Amino acid sequence: MGVRRIDWELCDGCEICVDYCPMDVLRMDRETNKVYIKYLRDCQGCFLCERECPQDAIYCFPVRERRIPLAW
Amino acid sequence: MSDVTHETDVLVIGGGIAGTFAAIKARESGAKRVLQVCKGNVGKSGCSAFAAGFFNVPLPTDDLDAMFKDMVRDGGYLRMQDRVQDHLEQAHLVMQDMMSYGVDFVRKDSGELERVPGWTRDLGLMFNGPNLMEAMRKASLEKGVEQVNRAMVTDFLTHDGRVVGAAGFDVMNGEFHIFKAGVTILASGMCRYKSLPPGQRDTTGDGTVAALRAGATVCDTESDFSLNNAFVAHWDIGPGMNMYVGQGGRLLNGRGERFMEKYDPVRKDRAIAGMRCLAMGLEVRQGKGPIYMDMTHLDPEQVGRIKKALPLASLMHQRAGFLVGDRFVKPIEWMITAPHAQVGLAVDRRFQSSLPGLFACGESAAAQAMTKSLGCAATSGVTAGVAAARYAQEAGEPQIDRAQVAELRERLYQPLQRKDGIEPDQVVLAVQEVVAPYTVLLIRHGERMKKAIAEVEDILKNQAPLLQAYDHHYLRMAIEASSMAKIAELQLKSALFRTESRVALREDYPYTDNVNWLKWINMKQEGENLKISTEDVPMGRYRFRPERPEHLHPLWQAAENIGAIKIEKGAVSWA
Ligand SMILES: Cc1cc2nc3c(=O)[nH]c(=O)nc-3n(C[C@H](O)[C@H](O)[C@H](O)COP(=O)(O)OP(=O)(O)OC[C@H]3O[C@@H](n4cnc5c(N)ncnc54)[C@H](O)[C@@H]3O)c2cc1C
Ligand code: SF4
Ligand code: SF4
Repeated sequence: MGVRRIDWELCDGCEICVDYCPMDVLRMDRETNKVYIKYLRDCQGCFLCERECPQDAIYCFPVRERRIPLAW
Repeated sequence: MSDVTHETDVLVIGGGIAGTFAAIKARESGAKRVLQVCKGNVGKSGCSAFAAGFFNVPLPTDDLDAMFKDMVRDGGYLRMQDRVQDHLEQAHLVMQDMMSYGVDFVRKDSGELERVPGWTRDLGLMFNGPNLMEAMRKASLEKGVEQVNRAMVTDFLTHDGRVVGAAGFDVMNGEFHIFKAGVTILASGMCRYKSLPPGQRDTTGDGTVAALRAGATVCDTESDFSLNNAFVAHWDIGPGMNMYVGQGGRLLNGRGERFMEKYDPVRKDRAIAGMRCLAMGLEVRQGKGPIYMDMTHLDPEQVGRIKKALPLASLMHQRAGFLVGDRFVKPIEWMITAPHAQVGLAVDRRFQSSLPGLFACGESAAAQAMTKSLGCAATSGVTAGVAAARYAQEAGEPQIDRAQVAELRERLYQPLQRKDGIEPDQVVLAVQEVVAPYTVLLIRHGERMKKAIAEVEDILKNQAPLLQAYDHHYLRMAIEASSMAKIAELQLKSALFRTESRVALREDYPYTDNVNWLKWINMKQEGENLKISTEDVPMGRYRFRPERPEHLHPLWQAAENIGAIKIEKGAVSWA
């Protein structure tokens, strides 16, 4: 799951999260000037966007978005 | 779409600690133009940004001789010992630099730096997770380094055998970028197969694969002291193993028993990470899985230290309900990661690769150059930055081969034109299925590795060439997937080639063979063929040598002592 919710009431479109996401998951909607989750499957669940958002608009949850084969 | 051309004296590929130090030191050494390119954002990508709050740094007042010896032994005597010495001499200077850039290492109330145990005998410093790379990123900008973010490098440019820069594309708008450079430093990290934990799924070995295509020699991963790491099994939580055991965390098997003392009676849970992972594998192989990390006994002060050093992992633990207030409420199931594939470029002591004009540092340099961990990656970046700046001053003006650029450009965008091709996800999963099982690269057997190689060759032949991308984001994912497949081939083939147990365990060759295998394994791509050869470790001029010519690997010995295995006809048989 990783990034789970972006609160559009709080998001002011500063784009910090878009800029910082290592996996390029988030994009700006130019019409609304809000951020949305574009490539959820590639989210690595690192919580960086949540940590960096100045408006506390992002909430992440530590469940994997994709199945990862395990060692045993 | 137009091309974007950059010209620079020093090009640094990668925005982790190695690349950022290399860029800063190249500027300080007199390079006028230094450009750092990153497929994510400098300081916000790669492993460095998510490292587990522990900075392992020897200080001049420590017993450096003892550390030297440990580092050589833990690296299976395959490490470049001149480089180990450089690291021990430079590490505290690098730490001073970092503090001057604004990295906050944790201090005691008295203001003195707090040193805490992590793995082995060494003490390390703690830092507040993301603060470290944020400070490094700012320092790089302040020193006048130009940063180009969101550009993925896919190929090196060459002219008359010299590397004269690189090419790549903007992962958001797709623009083609040409970087013309006097010298290039590769610092794009290793490949961690998009495995556990969060915060490292962007390191896929792209740089190594591009360098291999350009003719560079790459090296095996065996000398890496930790072939895997371990993290929370079923949740995306991490990292922190060294920090947790350093604060008193205990590994338990499925029967609730502490098991590390069986395998490393002296260091126990604080054994080096690689040893811990092997021990977990051996427990599971004996039917004593799964594995748990128990931190329920830690006191609020210890938990407080963990929270300070690992703010993101602590938040994840809280969200999952494992950490309530200042207590861990239950043992957490843990799992080892897919193997780390530090298939890096062969480099000399100055981090010059086998190709003129190309240096490599951090985890994209071969493991024997001791580049893994923040401290080691940092000192390697410093040395590479200084040496590369000198190279750029002495080398002539780089010449770009237009025909080569056109060809690379054409090949790069092909997945965007493909219809009914193969999804990047499909290739990623296929590669993970091959390399993740612990019985493939952690506890090895020739027959299992041959089967894995056949599977990877099939992926490389029948899937990777058909990868398709819907847009430039997917183009990045497609390239990452095919890099992972190529790295798996390199890692498996060199692992099969090494017919002994040295850092990893082989069931069919359980002995460490210091007569025939004090060797590095080199690989070079020649057309369709991967050429594998060996190079003697120059033991004659090194300080520390193994004591015995041949011996059962200590972990096989431990397993034999507890009756888990027998050695029959020179191979392991399980009890
Ligand atoms: C989860 C985790 C926890 C760790 N914890 C610790 C710890 O507590 N202490 C410690 O000492 N070590 C720790 N390590 C190890 C340490 O983080 C690494 O050894 C170190 O950060 C490697 O630095 P690097 O600069 O070589 O590579 P990285 O930091 O991985 O940087 C690679 C960079 O290259 C960029 N890149 C990759 N491919 C391309 C491309 N094709 N084009 C352009 N750019 C590209 C990436 O975006 C990234 O910026 C940890 C590692 C992991 C994975
Ligand atoms: S960082 Fe926060 S406020 Fe800024 S764009 Fe992202 S969600 Fe919106
Ligand atoms: S959790 Fe990490 S990978 Fe996922 S959207 Fe946020 S920054 Fe990107």
